[in-house]
Amino acid sequence: MLRRLVPLCLVAGLGSGLTGVLGADPAGAAPFKLDGPPKVAMVLFGPKNDGGWGQAFEEGRVRTEKALGIQIPVVDNIKESSSAIRPAVELFIKRGYNVIIGTAFGYSDTFKELAQKYPKVAFLNGSGTTNGANLESFYGRTYEPHYLCGMAAGAVSKEGKLGFVAANPFGVVNWTVNAYELGAKQTKPQATTTVVFTGAWNDPVKERAAAEALVGQGIDVIGQHVDTPTPQIVAQEKGIHGTGHHRDMSEFAPKATLCSLVWFWDRYLIPTIQKIGAGTWEPSPYGAFLSIKDGGPDIACCGPAVPKAVADQIQTERQAIIDGKKVYAGPLTDRDGKERVPAGGVLSDADLWKMDWFVPGVISQK
Amino acid sequence: MVLDFLMNWLAAIPGFVVPFALAALGLLLIEKAGVLSLGAEGFMLVGALAGIGAILGLGASPLAALLCAALAATLLSLLYAVLVVSLRVNQVIAGLSLVFLAQGLTGLIGTGAGWVNRPVDGLRPVPVPLLGDLPLIGQVVFRQDTVVYLTVPAFALVAWLLARTMVGLRLRAVGDGPDAADTAGIGVSATRYGAIAAGAALVGIAGGYLSVGIARIWVEGMTGGRGWIAIAIVIFARWRPWSALAGALLFGAIEALIPRIAAAGIQVPQYFIAMIPYLATLAVMVWTCLRGGGGSMEPRALGRAHLREDR
Repeated sequence: MLRRLVPLCLVAGLGSGLTGVLGADPAGAAPFKLDGPPKVAMVLFGPKNDGGWGQAFEEGRVRTEKALGIQIPVVDNIKESSSAIRPAVELFIKRGYNVIIGTAFGYSDTFKELAQKYPKVAFLNGSGTTNGANLESFYGRTYEPHYLCGMAAGAVSKEGKLGFVAANPFGVVNWTVNAYELGAKQTKPQATTTVVFTGAWNDPVKERAAAEALVGQGIDVIGQHVDTPTPQIVAQEKGIHGTGHHRDMSEFAPKATLCSLVWFWDRYLIPTIQKIGAGTWEPSPYGAFLSIKDGGPDIACCGPAVPKAVADQIQTERQAIIDGKKVYAGPLTDRDGKERVPAGGVLSDADLWKMDWFVPGVISQK
Repeated sequence: MVLDFLMNWLAAIPGFVVPFALAALGLLLIEKAGVLSLGAEGFMLVGALAGIGAILGLGASPLAALLCAALAATLLSLLYAVLVVSLRVNQVIAGLSLVFLAQGLTGLIGTGAGWVNRPVDGLRPVPVPLLGDLPLIGQVVFRQDTVVYLTVPAFALVAWLLARTMVGLRLRAVGDGPDAADTAGIGVSATRYGAIAAGAALVGIAGGYLSVGIARIWVEGMTGGRGWIAIAIVIFARWRPWSALAGALLFGAIEALIPRIAAAGIQVPQYFIAMIPYLATLAVMVWTCLRGGGGSMEPRALGRAHLREDR
């Protein structure tokens, strides 16, 4: 998962520098044209029914099929190595498929090579880092839904003591933690978020230990950025609340879950495939970094414990984000008092990817 | 406040110690017979899957599920035994292959059967009457689940078996000098088969305890390297059962401590703390070497296949 989730950062980080160097980047030169109508296929990194990342793509695929009236065959469990990816993708291409959707950070290099080898085929890759004339990587601004879910958490918590179970402290995770705290402050100004990093994406034993340790400290809402629903299940067992990641966690903890980040990949895939079909697709040389309004991750909100007024407030804030409100808008200082975003400014994408600081109210190991 | 923190931590330790302890004990049993067992992670993975599968697929009770975990790991261990005892395949390679096989197999079966992320009731604490109501110690020691209570007797049984019985003597003889044992009329292969099957059962229970006892949910690859830690514990313990329990206590106590200090907002170098058990293992190894192996109970024929008439 770590390898899947360090997406785009190099691209975003180097973005500004590269524009100068590669002034004549072919990606921006002309829209990509297919020979014939789009025939779409998907290559999944893990199993279709993993209850998280893979399943979100599978559900997006089914909705895309329905909306566009096409068949999108899928092959799953294709690991992040060239020897696994190439045969799967080339088999699809031989059968006449000309739009290939990948789903992993570890596909980046192989997709770049394949895109150069097959210039008549369009490639899309979720959480990848490579882009080109016929290749676009895409990932979501996951901090937007976590900001909104943080609002629900702050409102429901009695004293504003929130907990968060996260995998590893790096940009992609840190921005969800900070957004969670910023959101919680909207509904409970004194809210704090205590983070426990488990060091693993998929270790329910460590996740349960982390969640139970947080409960032991008097925390009454648990957010998460790990792959299993364990923290939500613990919340339900302990009679407290929680917010989920990847999928609507009310499936696992109907009473406890207040709000979840949910991927809606079809909202990106449908218009992109339509553009490819129409010959107007111009892949971004820096990849697509999707907001809610562009088809990025959204929220499933709100659970029964969230008061109606708060639910309305969250929907209003969601609309504001769609209308252009930025979560990381200045003035913003970190918990050590250092200014990170000046008043009137907005945190750049490059700074987002390398976020290694926390906002005031986040309690974690340094 | 400090007392609360301490109590929460201490009460959480047994749950973390059990998987390390049982896995190390099973491993120790196998290795005492002279068979290297790098496949511990594989037995644990199979145990974790079989445990959850027994509950979700067969409606078994948690304890019956742990029996299934033991059975499944034993079944897989027979394949390992055929490879390393009968066919005399290199034990390092066979052990590593076993882990990869178990990773693929459990992933395939578990996801295929739809057992991923399905919460189960699992093992629950069984307070001991009277003792469970004692202040402090009652909460820490006497409000645990059945497996925790059975762990110490299991160690006592294995320690007694190895040190005081004919079966144990034969097992150690096979591990220390299979040729001599063979000459003395001990069935080397049969003894090793037995040790592998029994040891794997214990490691399988350790795996089942992870899914059925602690996490109460199954995901692919959920053992998270704990089988490898069990190998480190056996080295740390220098192949002595009670030292292995102490090693498991050290690793388990640290694993229980790390999330708790983070949750309490205490600023400490957590990566350093996470490193302590491994540092201790290294220190023990260095110490053992400096003392010329004195006090170590490492089986002298560990990792060496036995072939009659092959001297």
